[in-house]
Amino acid sequence: MTDILPGTDPVSQAALKDEILRAEHISKRFGGVVALNDVSLSIYKGEICCLVGENGSGKSTMIKIISGVYTPDEGDITVNGRQYKKLTPITSIHEGIQVIYQDFSLFPNLTVAENIAINQQLASGKQLVNWKQVEQIAREGLAKINVSLPLDAEVSTLSTADRQLIAIIKALLANARIIIMDEPTTALTQKEVAALFKVINGLKSQGMSILFVSHKLNEVIEIADRTVIFRNGKKTMDQDAKGLDAKKMEFYMTGREIDGQAITFGEVNQADAPLLKVEQLNLARGFFDVSFELKPKEVLGITGLLGSGRTELALALFGELPANSGKIYLQGKEVQIKTIQDATAHGIAYVPDDRIRQGLFLEHSIENNIVVSIIGRLVNRLGLVNSKRKASEAQRWVRQLELKTPSPELPVKSLSGGNQQRVVLAKWLASNPKILILNGPTVGVDVGSKAEIHELIRSLAQQGLGILLISDDIPELFQTCHRILLMRAGRIVEEYKRQDITEQALNAELVAAAPVRADASASTHVSAQP
Amino acid sequence: MLKKIIRSNEFVIFLILVFLSLAIGLVNPAFFSISTLFDTLRASIVFLIMAYGLLPIIIAGGIDISFVAIAAVTSYATHMFLIGRGYQGSILLYYTIACVLGVLMGLLNGVLVTRFKLQVFDVSLAAFTMWYGFNLFFVGATANYEIPQSAVGYYNQFIIRTRDPFVGETGLHVSILYVIVIGLVIAWLLKYTTIGRGVFAIGGNREVALRSGFNITRITLITFAVMGLLSAVAGVTQAFLSRNFNPVIFITQPLDVLAAIILGGAAITGGSGSILGTTLGVLVIQLINRALILTGIPVEWQRFVVGLILILFTSIPALRAMRARRVGHTTELVEGE
Repeated sequence: MTDILPGTDPVSQAALKDEILRAEHISKRFGGVVALNDVSLSIYKGEICCLVGENGSGKSTMIKIISGVYTPDEGDITVNGRQYKKLTPITSIHEGIQVIYQDFSLFPNLTVAENIAINQQLASGKQLVNWKQVEQIAREGLAKINVSLPLDAEVSTLSTADRQLIAIIKALLANARIIIMDEPTTALTQKEVAALFKVINGLKSQGMSILFVSHKLNEVIEIADRTVIFRNGKKTMDQDAKGLDAKKMEFYMTGREIDGQAITFGEVNQADAPLLKVEQLNLARGFFDVSFELKPKEVLGITGLLGSGRTELALALFGELPANSGKIYLQGKEVQIKTIQDATAHGIAYVPDDRIRQGLFLEHSIENNIVVSIIGRLVNRLGLVNSKRKASEAQRWVRQLELKTPSPELPVKSLSGGNQQRVVLAKWLASNPKILILNGPTVGVDVGSKAEIHELIRSLAQQGLGILLISDDIPELFQTCHRILLMRAGRIVEEYKRQDITEQALNAELVAAAPVRADASASTHVSAQP
Repeated sequence: MLKKIIRSNEFVIFLILVFLSLAIGLVNPAFFSISTLFDTLRASIVFLIMAYGLLPIIIAGGIDISFVAIAAVTSYATHMFLIGRGYQGSILLYYTIACVLGVLMGLLNGVLVTRFKLQVFDVSLAAFTMWYGFNLFFVGATANYEIPQSAVGYYNQFIIRTRDPFVGETGLHVSILYVIVIGLVIAWLLKYTTIGRGVFAIGGNREVALRSGFNITRITLITFAVMGLLSAVAGVTQAFLSRNFNPVIFITQPLDVLAAIILGGAAITGGSGSILGTTLGVLVIQLINRALILTGIPVEWQRFVVGLILILFTSIPALRAMRARRVGHTTELVEGE
């Protein structure tokens, strides 16, 4: 399996007659940066094509070229047999290309029915609204993907998964032939992902083509008919998805072997007194009877499905959702954590899963973001910020965390996902925490940066921090944790030492969590809680 | 369906209205009379008209306070112009001239907002100050009590007459019909026209509205024209009901109207609001004003009480959201309950 030459296509000649879209020898430069370099991509009728690549590999640029947002510098695009030197967004839509962006482009204050029908209303040019017809259009749309949603519910009350379904229906009603989905599973629970895949497979059987852009290799393996991998603006793989495994894909994405075996873990001294001890912690509709210990230099994984209570536990320890009952000990002393200020005063730092919304000021400089939590320590006697100390403090963390940026004065939004995550880490590390809670530290981070962040987590632990790592990314847990706690329906149901369980076995346990919670004893216990 | 009605903002504000009426009636049984009802409605007329004009702007996500100034200038300037020329004709010409001026002044706000991408509130703040200043400096600084011959009796043109033992003959003023017609038209525009849905779309997500193909500039201009038009109607109506033309009429009241709309369930950030809710909101505020007189609570308390109710009312959804945030969202559990 060597690199595929750009422009040649590995799919058999028989399939060529069903080619809907062909982008040939596409190059695109932004200033001095080459985003795409002589890349070709075809999409065939009724197939699910997965486009995989690290941040900055050119995936997004390709989507924007196909949807007419960018004009390629070189190359041309053939859609439905018509050749274009450049597509405009309008022609792209007319040719049946629909992109579902991560924000879904919906109106939160309008009903499901109106959101589905609004484009037709506008396209018809009618000045009056026929509500019967709106409902009719919405019903037909829902029938197309065989789901039911309350037509008169406001979209703001729906889950992310349901909003996504509405976005898909809107695309279908716009006569889509190719639906491009950009990281569609980012905010979905396991169940919702399964439901989404069912919908996608249903669309495929109706002859729709899907371009599925994702970071999550296990999902790509599950859904793809054909897998295309980009690296540094070049196509490195384009082949039938059968028989492809994650290792091989990682290799084509990063150009190097990411070795899970060669990792060295720091030793945890079992004789050390625990840094953090939690006893019988409870939070209404969050979690119950949670008890565990965390030693210095230890990385303790907490895993469970979305909605298992894992995030609530983190937020309770960080004071954002203070626990209703139970005890928390820090270095042997019982402490009260009722507010975030309590938590930070006790040396607990929390890195949220949604770093963009909760962890960073995107428009502000890297430097300002790093020092924001310790700004009180950087003031001079007049209470003004000492800009020299501020710069040197920021510089120290840029060096220590190997942040890739020409200058710490650039805004954080100029960084890639992996580097943004480092800024969040730096911000909290600057405050010298004793306990670091990481929630999904590599969500949306590409494979290469992921390995580096894992390395960083291990080395931070070795320096004496206690780390709680909350994640449902099983390989991630195995590359960082000493012990792993499994949460299910708000309880810790199992504790594993890393050496004692395999990735496959843990994965099976994790996925098995959902149906088990239906058993009677668990639910009566739960409802007995205040 | 019933549940939806009960959970709606309109229902809550309706309950407040009923509760207030009962409470006042208990303290002072004189409250329960036809004349009090007519009196409260009469006092609400101009505020309802102004609120209906302002509502679309609020739904589209803007906040405007200049509508009161437009009401003042259009009515006062029209009057001073006509009376200066010895006009003794009907009220119709007043409405015509004032409405044309009102639409033009509303559009001026609209053009500044759409053309130069200025904030609605900034523009309205400027227009508010500017038009009152204009009125005082260029038109006149004192109230005028002249009424054209043909319009003298307008203030007591009732559609229903009644005799009250305390206040004598009174009735339901004919301009309540304008209110009903205007309310229905605005409600219809908002619900059944593409432009009306565009108003909601802009308030919900401006970026998506633009991408979906709504003509945001046109819709914005229309909302401002409607605001100017209805402000003028309110200004002229107020002058003839009170039989005087005041250059600074309503100057302290833009926030009362805004409060009524918010009380009626519109979000200050845009995207929601209804004519029914707005109507109830205006009535509640007017009722409180009456109530405090009837129950003998000092007038100084009016504003305090209105503010208090506003705080209580607007904190209901906030409290709901806060409670939702204070507990976890362990969905596996929630489903099991």
